[in-house]
Amino acid sequence: MRVRILLLVALLAAACSSAGEIGDVAPLPETSADALQELLVGSEQPVVLNVWASWCIPCRSEAPLLRVAHDSFGDQVRFVGLNVRDDQDEARAFLNEFDLAGFDHYFDPSGAVQGSLGSGGVPLTLFYAPGGTLVELHFGVIDERALALNIDEILRVP
Amino acid sequence: MEFTLLWAALSGAVGLYGALWWMGRRDTSLCVRDLWEIAITAAVVGLAVGRVVAMVRGGVNPFSHPGDLILVRAGVDTAAASIAALATAGWLTRSDPFEQLDRLTPAAILGVAGWHAGCLFRDACLGTPSSLPWAWSQPGSTITRHPVELYAAVLLAIGAWALFRLRLRYPSPGLVSGLGLALAGLARLLTEPLRPSLFAGPVWWYGAAITAGVALAGWSLYRTGSGDTESAPPPLQ
Repeated sequence: MRVRILLLVALLAAACSSAGEIGDVAPLPETSADALQELLVGSEQPVVLNVWASWCIPCRSEAPLLRVAHDSFGDQVRFVGLNVRDDQDEARAFLNEFDLAGFDHYFDPSGAVQGSLGSGGVPLTLFYAPGGTLVELHFGVIDERALALNIDEILRVP
Repeated sequence: MEFTLLWAALSGAVGLYGALWWMGRRDTSLCVRDLWEIAITAAVVGLAVGRVVAMVRGGVNPFSHPGDLILVRAGVDTAAASIAALATAGWLTRSDPFEQLDRLTPAAILGVAGWHAGCLFRDACLGTPSSLPWAWSQPGSTITRHPVELYAAVLLAIGAWALFRLRLRYPSPGLVSGLGLALAGLARLLTEPLRPSLFAGPVWWYGAAITAGVALAGWSLYRTGSGDTESAPPPLQ
């Protein structure tokens, strides 16, 4: 009986999840390697570029950290997301779920743009100084300390 | 890359077990295996609870995304993890809590020191910028920084050694545990300003740990002074 009640509670909690709703998140514009490079080189602010996908479980885990980082440093650092090998609706639902629509996201359905960055895995977080100089490339899930340290690093690059 | 956290955890476990083994050779009243099991169980429970709380706070439903539980790198709520670990250790030692926790505390503190020193495996030792001679920089960077995690490791290792020396004098039950709790909070409180962080660190929690530890140590001494304890065995040699 106790197990059944626990299962029922688990199912109800799972049903309460807001996953799948797109909300008012706009479709993600498709980009190219050249366009992304132009954005990075032309940025007067340091840039944090996060490569993600809605099907990537580790991306789900680091999403809340990126939101906090954007809330804290959004006025000094430009946050850019690159959604790769994904579906538009799934990607928009992901952004809505984690309230990440506040920063610029681009769509890379084939993964070609990501390929130009030098890695095919997700998640991937790249830190650029103003002018597009790559300071740090972090493979895999990023933790709070590494994110904070690398943001501090790109803010201090002369 | 993703397994560097495991190396750091392993260095913590080595610190813990090494300390228990060494203490067991000096103090025959220690049952190393029992203490090891208590410490590891408390650590695992604390980790799981801290991870679940971090997921909930981050807006991730643990029921609909149970796989996220193992992504420890994405965050563990320190306060929840510490409370859960302490509660578990308290439950497992409920027959004689202060005696058992006093035995365990120096090794647990050394285990935490090992965890901090494990930053060397994770490339995560660095904190705020510094021009001190021992500061170093990230690969490719010219900005030298405090090796803040090593500061914490050294502070905790010295504290663990002092607590072990104190334990050998067989002080009143609860004194070593209380001082250990205060030391763990103090080490984080002192080093926290040197860590770059996205959040305002849980300084209140470190302050609460220090207060609770000092209160426990004070209560332990008061009990001894008022004769409200059983007679202690003679000091260990």
